[in-house]
Amino acid sequence: MPSQTDVVTFVNRYRILLLLALVFLFMALFAPRFLNMFNMTIIMKSASLNAMAAIGFTIVLICGHLDLSVSSTISLGAVLVIGFRPDLGWSGAIVAAVAAGGVVGLVNGLLVAKARIHSFIVTIGTLTIVQGIIYVYTGGAALNVTGALDFALADFLEDPILLFFPPRVIITILVIVGFEVFFLRTKPGRNFYMVGGNRETAWLAGVKADAYVIWAFIISGCAAALSGALFAIGISSATTDLGVNSLMIIVAATIIGGASMNGGKGQVLYSGIAVLMLTVLFNGLNRFGVGSEFRILASGVILASVVLYEAYSNYKKERIRGQRPELLKELDPQQLKNVASSLKTRKLQE
Amino acid sequence: MKRLGLIALVLMLAGGMVAFAGGAPEADTAVAEDNLERSLEVDISGLRSADGQTLLPELSSKQVPPRPDNPRSLPETDPLHWYDMEYLGWGVAEKINIPDSPADGAIGKRVIAIINGDHPYLTAYSNGMQKIADAYSMDLTVLSPNWDLAEQNQMLDEAINERPDMIILVPLDARVAIQQVRRVNRAGVPIILSNMLPEEEAMQYAIAWTGPDDWGQFREMARVWADELGRSGGVAYIRHAPGGSPYFARTYGPITELAEYAPDIETLDMQAPGFEAEATMQVVSDWLTRFGDRLTGIGLADDSAQAIGTIEALRRAGREDVLVIAAGNSKVGMDMVQDGDLLAITYQSAEADGAVALKTAVDWFNGLDVDPVLYIPKQVITQENVEDFMPAQW
Amino acid sequence: MSEDRTLRQNRFSVLISVLGIYFLAAILLIVGVMVSERFLSAANMLSVVGGVTILGLVAVGAAFVTYSGHFADLSIPTTMAFSGVMAVEALQFGIVAAIFTGLLVGLLIGLINGFVIGKFRANPIVWTLAMAFVTRGLMRWIWSNRQIYPEVEGAATGAGQHFVNLYRYHLLGVIPMTVVVLAAFAIGLHFVMKQSSFGRQLQITGASFEAARLSGINVSRNVGLAFLICAMTAAVAGIFLTSLSRVGAYYMGEGYDFAAVTAVVIGGVTLAGGRGSIVGVIGGVLVIGLMRNVMTLMGIDTFAQTIVTGAVFILAVGIQSNSLRRLGRDDA
Repeated sequence: MPSQTDVVTFVNRYRILLLLALVFLFMALFAPRFLNMFNMTIIMKSASLNAMAAIGFTIVLICGHLDLSVSSTISLGAVLVIGFRPDLGWSGAIVAAVAAGGVVGLVNGLLVAKARIHSFIVTIGTLTIVQGIIYVYTGGAALNVTGALDFALADFLEDPILLFFPPRVIITILVIVGFEVFFLRTKPGRNFYMVGGNRETAWLAGVKADAYVIWAFIISGCAAALSGALFAIGISSATTDLGVNSLMIIVAATIIGGASMNGGKGQVLYSGIAVLMLTVLFNGLNRFGVGSEFRILASGVILASVVLYEAYSNYKKERIRGQRPELLKELDPQQLKNVASSLKTRKLQE
Repeated sequence: MKRLGLIALVLMLAGGMVAFAGGAPEADTAVAEDNLERSLEVDISGLRSADGQTLLPELSSKQVPPRPDNPRSLPETDPLHWYDMEYLGWGVAEKINIPDSPADGAIGKRVIAIINGDHPYLTAYSNGMQKIADAYSMDLTVLSPNWDLAEQNQMLDEAINERPDMIILVPLDARVAIQQVRRVNRAGVPIILSNMLPEEEAMQYAIAWTGPDDWGQFREMARVWADELGRSGGVAYIRHAPGGSPYFARTYGPITELAEYAPDIETLDMQAPGFEAEATMQVVSDWLTRFGDRLTGIGLADDSAQAIGTIEALRRAGREDVLVIAAGNSKVGMDMVQDGDLLAITYQSAEADGAVALKTAVDWFNGLDVDPVLYIPKQVITQENVEDFMPAQW
Repeated sequence: MSEDRTLRQNRFSVLISVLGIYFLAAILLIVGVMVSERFLSAANMLSVVGGVTILGLVAVGAAFVTYSGHFADLSIPTTMAFSGVMAVEALQFGIVAAIFTGLLVGLLIGLINGFVIGKFRANPIVWTLAMAFVTRGLMRWIWSNRQIYPEVEGAATGAGQHFVNLYRYHLLGVIPMTVVVLAAFAIGLHFVMKQSSFGRQLQITGASFEAARLSGINVSRNVGLAFLICAMTAAVAGIFLTSLSRVGAYYMGEGYDFAAVTAVVIGGVTLAGGRGSIVGVIGGVLVIGLMRNVMTLMGIDTFAQTIVTGAVFILAVGIQSNSLRRLGRDDA
C-alpha cells in the first residue's frame, strides 16, 4: 500500500501531467464540441508555437538565467523566414532565420557570461533592440509571401498527416523530445543542470560554465526563431509583433512545468506539456464562449496556485530545517508530553 | 515503478484523446420554408445606436480611379502611391470558390464573428452587430483573441470546426489575412471581412469587406483642417500602431490630400509613441521645442490617450493655437471637441461598423446582390455639430 | 606603467560608481545643447520632467523591491490600473473617498505580494506575474472590458472634475502638482532607505538574505514592506495616470513594469540587491526622459529610438557593474 508521502512525491513529480489530464477531462466532459479530431488538431497546432520556444527558455532557466528576449526572437524568426523566402527559397530562409536567432542568443550569452551583466538586464535590452531591428527591417508592416503564391508548404505543414498531428506539430514534438533526451541522457546535456544547480560542483568537475551558459542562450535563440519561422510559414506571413504575447505564457508554462527561477530544475518536455495544458484550457474556455478575460484569469489562478503550493511546501521544509523528525519519532510520546507540560508550567510560574 | 506510472499516464491521455475524438459537429436545424419571405420583411430602419443616430443609414460610396501601372514607384506624397491600400477590394477581378448563397432567408442562421481584440470601440461594435442579430433572430457568437495572432488563428480553426452559416472576421493584420481567409474559403464556409482592411489578395476568397473608409474620412477632415490652418504652416503626425491599415491611412491620407489641396503646408515629422498619454505628451513637447512656431497643426490617429497627451503638452507650453485633428469618436474625444481642444474628429460609428458587417451577411443569406466593398457613412465632427452625436457610443 | 594604468582605470571606475547615472545625464545635456538652442529653455526642461513624473513615482517605489534583492514587481501595471478604476468607481462618494479607495486597493495588492513573497519566499517575478494575470482578469471581468469616466461617475458630487484636475493642478501656477508629489515621495523614501532602521535592515536583507535572517532581522516583514511601498507608489501613479487620461480602464499602466525596472537599474540599484539610492533612481528616470527628448529633437524615428534605448540600457548597466567589479565590489 502506498504511503501518504509516496502519493505526495508522485503528485509532485508528475504534477504537470496530472494537471493536463485533469483539465482535459473537465473540458471533455463539460465543454461543448470539444472532443473531436478537428479540435484536437487545433489544440496541437496552437500549442506548437510556444511549446518549441519554451525549450530555450527552460534550458536558460536551468542554467540559472532568464531569457526575456524570446518574444522578439520569435517575431524575428517569423519576419526573416518570410523576408528571405524570395531570395533563398524555403530551406535557405529557414536556415537564415534560425541562424539569426542563434546570433541573438550568442550576443545574449556573451554579454551574460563574458561581460558579466545580469541576464535580466541583457535580455530586456535585446528584447527592445531586436524589436527595433524588426521594425526597421519591415518598415512596421507585416510581410507575406507573394508572387508565385505557393501555399503548398503551408498546407503541407498545417494539415494532419497522422491522427491529429500535422507535420508542424510533429516537428515540434521531435525537437522537444530530441532536446529532452539530450539534456537527460548525455553527459554534456546533464552538465547544463550542474551549471545551474551547483556552480561549485560544476567547477570542480571541470565543466566550463561560461560555455554552457552561452550555448543555452544560443539554443534559446534558435528554438524561438525556429518556432516563429514555422508558424510564419504556416500562415504564409509574419507580423512584427507575433511573439509579443508569448513571453508571459512561456514564463507561466515553464514554472508550472516544474522549472525553478533559481536554476538546476526543470525539463523541456514538461514545459512543453505545460504549454499544451494551457492551450487545452484556453481552447476549452473558448468552447464555452466566454471572453478572453477568463483565459487570463484562469492561467493566473493556475500559476498562482502552483507558485503558492511550491513556496508553501518549501516554507514548511525550511521551518523544520536542522530538526531531526525521525529522531523525535523514536522518543516516547508520553515523555515528550511531560517535557512540554513541565515547560509550560515553568513559563506560567515566571 | 514511477516510470511505469508515467508511461501509463501518457498512454491513458493519448488513448483518451483518440478514443473520444471523432464526434461529428452538430448539424444545423432545418429552415422553415417561408423563412426567406419573413427575412425580407424585417424592418431595421427603426434601429438606433447608443448615440441616437440611425444604426444603419445610407452607406457611402467612393470614386475609384484607374490603377496606375506601378503605384509604389510614385512618390509617397502622391495619393496614387497608396492606391493598393486605399482602393483595396475594388480591383478583384475574380472571386475564388465562393459558396452560393442558400437564398433561404437570414432568420435563425448561425454566425461566428471573430474580432481582433478587446477595446471599448469593439465592445460597441459587437453591440451594433447584436442589434442586427436580434432583429433577424440569428445565433451570433462574438469571439475576441485579445490582440494575439496565434489565438485568432486558433479561433478561426475552431470556428471552421463548428460549421456556422457565416464567419465574420476582423483581421489582426492585413497580410496575414490572406492565408486566414483562404483557409476558411477552402473549408467551404462563407466569410465576410470587417473593419480592418486586408490585402487585396484576401478579398478574392471573401464575399465582401465592410467598414470605415479610413482614407476617405481623413481626406475629408484634412480639408477642414487645411482651411482652418489658412492653407499654410507646418504639421506633424502621431501615428497608429505599426502594421495595421490605420498606420498608413491616418498619416498618408492627410499628407497626400494636403499635397494637392494645400501644398504650402509642410509635413514636419511623424512618430509612433503608441497609445499612451504620457509618452505622447513628451513627443509633442519635444516637437514644440524643436519646431517652435513652425508647428501649427497636429494630426492624431486616436482621440483618447493620444489626444489627452497632446492637448496637455500644448496647454503646458501655452500653445493652444495649434490645431489638432484626430480619428474619432470616443467620449473623451467628443468632450474635447466640445471644449474646443480638438478642431475636428471623424464620425466613425462603431455600432454601424458592426451592424453593416452582419447586415451584409443578411443580404447574402436573402439571396440579394452584395457589393464587394461597403463603407459606413463618414462625417467630420466639429464644435458646431458635436451635440448631434452625443452621448458617445464608447 | 601598468600600475599607473590600473590606477587611472580605477579613478574612472570610482567616478562612475559615485556619479553613476548623472555622468550619462551630463553627456545627454551636452548633446542636447549641440542639437537645439531651445534645449536648455525652462519650457523644454519642464516638459522633460513632466513627461516622466508618473514613471518616476513608480520607479522610486519599485526601487525598494530591487534594493531588497527581489528583482522586479510585474504586477505594477495592473496595480496602477486597479487603483485608477476603483478610484473612479468611488467618485460617487466624493474625491477624498476616491483617492482613499484607490490607495487602499494598491496597498491590498502590495500586502498580498508582500505576504506571499516575504513570508513564503515565492519567487518574486513569477508570483507578481501570476498576480498581474489574476488582477487583470478580475478587472476585465468586473467591468466587462469597458472603461469608465471620472466625469460620469463623479457627476453627482462634482468630484469628477476635481479628479480630472488632480494631474493638472499647478503649484504657484508653474510647478505641476505631480512633480511636487514626486519630489515629496523621493525625499521621504530617500530617508526611509538611507536613514531609518528599516532601510538599513533592508540593505542587509538585499545584500544577503540568509545573513540578515540569521542575524535576527525580521526579513519577512522587511521584504513585505518593500513590496508594500512599491504598490503604494504604483497606486499613486495609477491615480494620476487615470486623472491624466480621464478614463479608468484595465489597460492603463501597461509597460510601466519594464520601464520602471529600466529606470531603477540604470539608476544604479543593482539587481543583486543592497546597493543603490533614490537619488540614482531619479537620475535614471531623468536620463530616460532626456534620451527620448534629445532623440526626438535630433529627428530620430520611433523605430531607431527603440534600438538606441535598448543598447544604451545594456551599455550603461554593463559599465556600472564593470566599474563596481574593478573596485573589487559585487564580484558576482
